[in-house]
Amino acid sequence: MYKYYELRELEGRAPKLFGIPTGTRLDELFYRVEREGERYVKKPLGGIPHLAVMNITGVPDTGKSLLAEQFAITQAGNGYRVLYVTVESPAHFLYTAIKDRSEAMGIDFSKVESNVVVIDASESDELRENPKALMETMNYAIREKKVTNTIIDSITGLYEHKEMMARQIVRQFFNFMKKNRQTGIFVSQKRSAQASESAEAAGGLAVAHIVDGTIVLDKKLIESRWDVNLYGLPLGSVLRTIRIDGCRIAPHDSRVWVFEITEIGTIELIAPLSEYIRRGGKGVEAGR
Amino acid sequence: MGFEVIAKPKGGNIDRMAEKVFYESINLLGGLKKLIEYRNLTWLPSLAEAAYVIVLKNEAMKTYGEIARELGITEQTARSIATADEEEVKRYLEGELEDRPREHIAGGIAKLAYRKLKEEGKFETEEVEIKHDELEVLDVDWAVHVLARIKGLDFPANRDALLERLKGLIIKGRNIEEILEKINYPVKTPAQLLHEIKTHLNFF
Repeated sequence: MYKYYELRELEGRAPKLFGIPTGTRLDELFYRVEREGERYVKKPLGGIPHLAVMNITGVPDTGKSLLAEQFAITQAGNGYRVLYVTVESPAHFLYTAIKDRSEAMGIDFSKVESNVVVIDASESDELRENPKALMETMNYAIREKKVTNTIIDSITGLYEHKEMMARQIVRQFFNFMKKNRQTGIFVSQKRSAQASESAEAAGGLAVAHIVDGTIVLDKKLIESRWDVNLYGLPLGSVLRTIRIDGCRIAPHDSRVWVFEITEIGTIELIAPLSEYIRRGGKGVEAGR
Repeated sequence: MGFEVIAKPKGGNIDRMAEKVFYESINLLGGLKKLIEYRNLTWLPSLAEAAYVIVLKNEAMKTYGEIARELGITEQTARSIATADEEEVKRYLEGELEDRPREHIAGGIAKLAYRKLKEEGKFETEEVEIKHDELEVLDVDWAVHVLARIKGLDFPANRDALLERLKGLIIKGRNIEEILEKINYPVKTPAQLLHEIKTHLNFF
């Protein structure tokens, strides 16, 4: 029953490294290194790595679901099938959000809606609390609809009230994604007690250690004169940041970037935080 | 709405999975006829309970507390079943051990059955059955059907609550309504319900 491989046997099975676009500048932050003559050069992947399962984490109202939805819209708009497992928000709310954003992004919504399959676990106890039932249902959708990208928003919602089971549950879903060759996004909620720079920020007890990589979203309230001077933002505004906190599949930019959530609800990366501070916060709307 | 929305599970039915483990447990023990020969039919309710524990723990990722509440057993019983050393139980059943081990026997058998189904890939696809004529003659899968029907019912339970869930069920040729007339109330746990039914079946 047990299997082992010699390394060279795996050559034919190793996935090709290329990017699956998210529709944000995050796509430029993953890269591969190629040799050109005598030197090595970085080439952007143009998306999150193909077949990677990425964890998007952050405290409430940092844009996790917006980023996941933007990824879904971009992929569906490009003609790829997307499975969206909604655990928090009922399907009809998701429909409205994706419809409005597709139109704002200039992407043909008829194409998006025909390429997105939704599993609504938000209103089904059985789907939310029985991982086996949810995986069988996802398996059906992936097989029948020829899905290549899967989003679970949120994975945390599958182990509410029983975080001691988090590792087992996340591991099961991670293995499921690998077995079914999905490029995936798990949205997970960071508990407010965990500092945003800490390892726990990357999804609490379990997720970060299991998934292929983590993207941490954060926000900072501008609440002192020091903040005003440093970030060049007015008091009471919010500075939003995003950071790739590790990815085992592809090299990546590891700096903290500043981003904004536009009026149409899209994620726009502005600049690395250090550069942003150097130029005095230019390019960010007051009040955000 | 334009999206295709799937709102109901397409598989992963706990009752169905528990039935598979239950049936495979009986197969492992040599089938029902062997159980009768050795007068071991009293194991069946325990096996049904153990089958549920193993499925809830390994497939539905439930905590011991959740399993205990769902099946009306103690957390310690759920833990004993789920952590039973199945190899030790196997040696005991094969006569290699003189003394009965401290392990939960039904738990060990259900774990062996579960492992076998998983390893052979039958758990996901194939139906697991014991011989139909044996089932028909003996009606011994009643414990699984009773547990499936009372899932989620609050205990202690009175006659009306049990009747509402179990009406129409026939156990060993007896209507459940007839059986429920004769048992003691309130029934404190699902385990007590199985015990009461079994006891009263013997009087008929």
